[in-house]
Amino acid sequence: MSLAPLTQAPTLESQRLVLRGPERSDAEPLIAFLCDLERAAGFGGFDNRHDAWRWFGLNVGHWHIHGYGYFTLEDKATGKPAGICGIWNPDGWPEPELGWVVFDGFEGKGVAYEAALRAREWAYSDLGFTTLTSNIVPDNARSIKLAERLGATYERTYHNVNMGEDLLYRHPAPDALDSDGSVEAYA
Amino acid sequence: MTTFSVDIPEVETDRLILRAVTLDDLDEVAAFYASERSHFVGGPAERADVWRIIAYVNGHWLLRGFGYWAIEEKATGACLGMCGFIFREGWSEPELGWQVYEAAEGKSIAFEAAQAARAYGAAHFGLEGVISHIDPVNARSVALAERLGARFERPDELLGKPCDIYRHPMTGAQSAPRMEAKA
Repeated sequence: MSLAPLTQAPTLESQRLVLRGPERSDAEPLIAFLCDLERAAGFGGFDNRHDAWRWFGLNVGHWHIHGYGYFTLEDKATGKPAGICGIWNPDGWPEPELGWVVFDGFEGKGVAYEAALRAREWAYSDLGFTTLTSNIVPDNARSIKLAERLGATYERTYHNVNMGEDLLYRHPAPDALDSDGSVEAYA
Repeated sequence: MTTFSVDIPEVETDRLILRAVTLDDLDEVAAFYASERSHFVGGPAERADVWRIIAYVNGHWLLRGFGYWAIEEKATGACLGMCGFIFREGWSEPELGWQVYEAAEGKSIAFEAAQAARAYGAAHFGLEGVISHIDPVNARSVALAERLGARFERPDELLGKPCDIYRHPMTGAQSAPRMEAKA
């Protein structure tokens, strides 16, 4: 019996990744990440599988409420999920944000940068966003570095309903980007 | 913008419609989760968390092919609670659950909704003889389970907290799964 797709997310491609909607088989790798409290510290982890599975369901519901959410990043070379990336905007968020997470074993390869560029381009060209933010906890140096590489700049510190003290970074507007979606030329 | 496109069936009873939970229900559900009444179902919870609950409830339908409905009162259109099937990570099997808000007290709303949900689940989702997890000190829920014909089966633990398992009777309804998704 074939199963209905979980979302109507589009399938996007970048050089080494396929960005696609969450699928049932993504539950375990995602739960493994969310229950790794060290790796998930900057994202919001869980100390139990039940809450992690609920977050998986929440992302599916988020896609249906907003028409966007977190994509699964499928590594073309291995077919394995390498992380998640997408646009997130639950109740209490200051604005829609571009978020990213890279799973164990896929770090240090520029996966998050590649995915974030593609997701941002999609949000600007297909969803019609004119601006985007990223919310980063103060001690997440890797994410701050990546936000800056993406051309985002620090705007303010605020209290996030889930994460507590949080830094809001603002991405360059669509017309400030190169044709490949980056700002590398200005970096 | 609300773009729910989850295929959730509607179930009608004399006074109620069981339908998809949407963000239009956020105020009523959040008021319940802000109150002490919610402590048997994991509350209290902040409004932002209740938004996540509503999103997650819809995700559950897609992941499992069944889930929780909003209990809408036909006469007023008010959301009186939620009711339906839960089968989360950590559950031993699918459960029939319910939560009813203050405005619905003492009118047998939960009974009418749970009975309809149970019959629908048996007829369309292949969910026969399901369980309900009930906190032993929740006398109202114990009474409702017994009125529904469920019987105490055994003490258990749910998410680290003690709870009793009640088993519902077989309805004998023809099982004709309607939804495809049964992950």
